Amino acid sequence: MRAVGLPPVVAAELDKLRTLPVTVLAVVGTVVVGALIAAAQAGAAADQDLPTSAVDVTLRTVPFVVAGLVLVGVLAVSQEHAGRQVATTLAAVPRRGLLVAGKSIAAAAVVALAAISTLGACVAAAAVTQRLLDAPASTDGAGAGALLGAAAYLVLIGVFSHAVALLVRHLVPALVGVLALVLVVSPLLAGATEHARWLPDRAAAAWFDAGPGALDGPTATLVALTWVVAVGGLGSWRFLVRDA
Amino acid sequence: MRAWSVFAAELQKLSALPAVWTGAAVAVLGAGALTLLNAVGVRDALLAGRPEDSGYGSAFDTAFASMPIGTVGAVVIGVVAMSSEFTANSPDAGGGRQIGTTLVAVPRRVGVLVAKAAAVVLLVLATAAVAIPASVTLAEAIIGDAATSTVPADEAVRRCLGAALYWTLTALLALAVTVFTRSGVVPLLVLVVNSSLVSVSLLLTMLTPVAHWLPDMAGRRLFGDVDTVAGGLAAGPGALVMTGWALALLVVAGAVFSRRDA
Repeated sequence: MRAVGLPPVVAAELDKLRTLPVTVLAVVGTVVVGALIAAAQAGAAADQDLPTSAVDVTLRTVPFVVAGLVLVGVLAVSQEHAGRQVATTLAAVPRRGLLVAGKSIAAAAVVALAAISTLGACVAAAAVTQRLLDAPASTDGAGAGALLGAAAYLVLIGVFSHAVALLVRHLVPALVGVLALVLVVSPLLAGATEHARWLPDRAAAAWFDAGPGALDGPTATLVALTWVVAVGGLGSWRFLVRDA
Repeated sequence: MRAWSVFAAELQKLSALPAVWTGAAVAVLGAGALTLLNAVGVRDALLAGRPEDSGYGSAFDTAFASMPIGTVGAVVIGVVAMSSEFTANSPDAGGGRQIGTTLVAVPRRVGVLVAKAAAVVLLVLATAAVAIPASVTLAEAIIGDAATSTVPADEAVRRCLGAALYWTLTALLALAVTVFTRSGVVPLLVLVVNSSLVSVSLLLTMLTPVAHWLPDMAGRRLFGDVDTVAGGLAAGPGALVMTGWALALLVVAGAVFSRRDA
């Protein structure tokens, strides 16, 4: 019997994700909600005559779309365990290490697609709104570097969610766990202690929003990636050794 | 007698769901852990004579800063109470859904929904009865004499009851919305996002003052006047508006649940 390589596994995983209605809904929903919120923020700034740029508005929209990326990241694993699909998958690809690798690559690709299209839609919606309202534009705001940082942040959160899903398998705990961490625990802790900067989302947020007390560039990258590798490693190990 | 047994059955089903216990644990342990971290930071700042760094002067306010995590727990309990009925079993066990069995046992659908709502209210109130006093006691124990101000007892009691009411109403809203969607994904996502600091309702208040009448914005002063956002309804009217939303959505959910194929 011929051993299956990585590319066909990735292609199969992408196929499974593409044909899952909830993936398409999550990606499209995130893009649409992101564009609406960016337009609303640009409109609110124009109302108050605050000069701002489309990129700045997009960066302020990032915290609102991160939930969509969490959902997209969780799906690749949670759909396998929603029914008995994982049994079929393992019959087709018995080498679990290969399967985890393929699944992770596919999840990262879909997350990256969602992140880039959402940010693109946000920039476009903010720019169009500003043009329509004749809003005062500012040119000294954040540049393309920060936008790239925001894309990297969204991808990291999505991949981190995938790692958490590998660990806990099911949709609800993974979704609630990551959302509570990113949206509730991390802002509350940031108000209480400077150690909150070591959380994965705070570290990654330094890529586009280097506020006071944030980790500096290389350390932030190292901390964020360590989180993903640690949780992902634990999740993969669990997938390898446990009953499906 | 019959209504009582339907309620007992719903309570039993809920307390057998791991997700419900997880939601309660998120509220109790999450609030406790955040209070612990917060309180240590506040105490150190106050003892070092830097009250401007602490954010809060009293132990009570410090404990209440961690209450939003309890809302997440309440959302989980409210959503899972309904979505668990519609989740398909493993195909190894027939792939059925619990809702079929439930409706065979209790054909009066409104009765099922009322019993479910009552069970959710009881569980959320029980969670609040543990989480809120535990967090406040923890903060008192850590900050102790270092506190620069105290919250009067009547105000403290009012805010504790307010927080419990906010959690309960949020859980009921979650239950009602999940009746419409059946799957728990969308209500979980939307309600957890909205109970956080990046709430879409909060953003809408910057565009239109009408958004202050949305359920979560209307009720937020139940936690006390610590919020940074100005404007909006006071605690009393806000509580009424939020209760109105919860009841209205439950009534619509009852109508939908009665008339739609399960």
